[in-house]
Amino acid sequence: MRDMAIILKRELKSYFYSPIAYVFSVIFIILNAGIYMFHFFFFGTVDMRAFFSTLPLVLGIVFIPAISMRLWSEEIKLGTIELLLTLPMRTEEIVLGKFLASFIFYLFALSGTLAIPIMLIFLGRPDFGPIIGGYFGAVLLGAFFLSVGIFISSFFADQIVSLIITSLVCGFLVLAGWQYVPMIIDGWIPGLGSFLDNYISVSRHFSDIERGVIDIKSIIYFLSFTALFLYLNAKVLERRKY
Amino acid sequence: MTEGNVMIELKNVYKNYGSTQALSDVSFTVQKGQIVGFVGPNGAGKSTAMKIITTYTAPTSGTVSVGGFSVMENPIEVCRMVGYLPETVPLYYDMLVDEYLEFIGAARHLNGKFKGRHDWVVEACGLQPVLHRKIGELSKGFKQRTCLAQALIHDPDILILDEPTSGLDPLQIIGIRKLIKDLAHSKTIILSTHILPEVASISDRILVINEGRIVADGSFQDLQQKLTERNSAYIAVKCTKKEFQSAIQSLSGVDEVLYDENVPRGVIGAHFFSSFKIDLIAQLNDLIRNQKWSIVEFTREKLSLEDSFIKLTQGSAVSGEGGAS
Repeated sequence: MRDMAIILKRELKSYFYSPIAYVFSVIFIILNAGIYMFHFFFFGTVDMRAFFSTLPLVLGIVFIPAISMRLWSEEIKLGTIELLLTLPMRTEEIVLGKFLASFIFYLFALSGTLAIPIMLIFLGRPDFGPIIGGYFGAVLLGAFFLSVGIFISSFFADQIVSLIITSLVCGFLVLAGWQYVPMIIDGWIPGLGSFLDNYISVSRHFSDIERGVIDIKSIIYFLSFTALFLYLNAKVLERRKY
Repeated sequence: MTEGNVMIELKNVYKNYGSTQALSDVSFTVQKGQIVGFVGPNGAGKSTAMKIITTYTAPTSGTVSVGGFSVMENPIEVCRMVGYLPETVPLYYDMLVDEYLEFIGAARHLNGKFKGRHDWVVEACGLQPVLHRKIGELSKGFKQRTCLAQALIHDPDILILDEPTSGLDPLQIIGIRKLIKDLAHSKTIILSTHILPEVASISDRILVINEGRIVADGSFQDLQQKLTERNSAYIAVKCTKKEFQSAIQSLSGVDEVLYDENVPRGVIGAHFFSSFKIDLIAQLNDLIRNQKWSIVEFTREKLSLEDSFIKLTQGSAVSGEGGAS
């Protein structure tokens, strides 16, 4: 665990020292808050449903890939992966350190949106159940997408390629359960759409949690997939030797 | 030479990258306190051998042990013992030199020893002037030295240095060579280079690697003696290659013929090598006269070490393996 902390510290510094991190955080907050405020003024309800309904797509397509793309791609490009993997550390600890650094950075950006619920408190009496549930879901969803992103970045030396592939995969994970998409897929290949919606897509699990229905199945879904991708990431790095 | 002193041992190591064979049946041992120089052209397998010793890459087959630990089964123990300067000079460009050393020091669990080791490597590698500069902004020489400092900071028993002097100016090269020499008393060192005088000046032992195989192994003096105790002559004549090839069959005692590619059309040039007992010049003289070739160039060659090296590393290409990399 000590080695993990050493990696975590270095990665966090690297996130917070680079201007790109701040640029992305600001864009993330403006984008989400912007979409939300439009809804807010249009419908005039004191809740955050609009915010959480677009969040998976914004996270999966734009924000998470932008955070995770550098995690391994940069190391591969600079050659520092050779340094890192010849330090006396277990690969799992390195992966975990990197993942946690990106996760903490994500939480930092997400906390910027807390301005919205604070505003709601002043404007009315929001129902806190769905808001707390929504943030809880966003934390789990972020962890899952980041584990997918760090895994994908270990295959490519080019950060942009990592970004695009992660964006496609996470986008798919959201859209496979998005509104009418499962029905459309079912129309092409009967059964596939419902299968993706029920078992693969993040949308159903996220919307359950976001409505305040905290089902243990959904929590297990997010945590087990996150663990799986981190495990695969360590395995892929070990396979690089061959 | 007892077993207990063997620090690095490779046994029948093969390494394939897809269909290309980077190492082929490489076996050697390095004793404690030795400085071994890997010499060979680019793409010969020097870096691959080093990557295997440092656990970054796994051999396709064969066994490798470092300080008694297998690189496959105990990679962490091996990493702990080894200081490694990869050829790519891996550095985090967004870090300050000092931060980088601090990170490596932490990763190597130096704790209380860090301050002393830090000051020592900064001094030894001459990093004082750039300590608070961003690594990305450093010159190539300083980057190289920062990376060398990384390899030395934990005072490792074994040092693996892949082209430690590349990118340095002559004065810095002398400094680094001296540093390596000084470290040699207590450490086992493998370094690679394609600059021969460099190995000659610091290594106790030279391993010449070509096309994934060890083609020569010995001290500098051994190699020099072995390679230069030979006659060599160069001729360039006007004739066809076919004619030339059949005519030279009549020569006796020639060990090797190395064709010169850099000759004009219609001219065939070749280096001839024979044992020093054979009068190569007289034989070639007779040959040229009998064949009535017109001479473009005819010289007796004295093999310098560079020539020997070129011959050694290109020799196998001539003897039929083909394909320069």
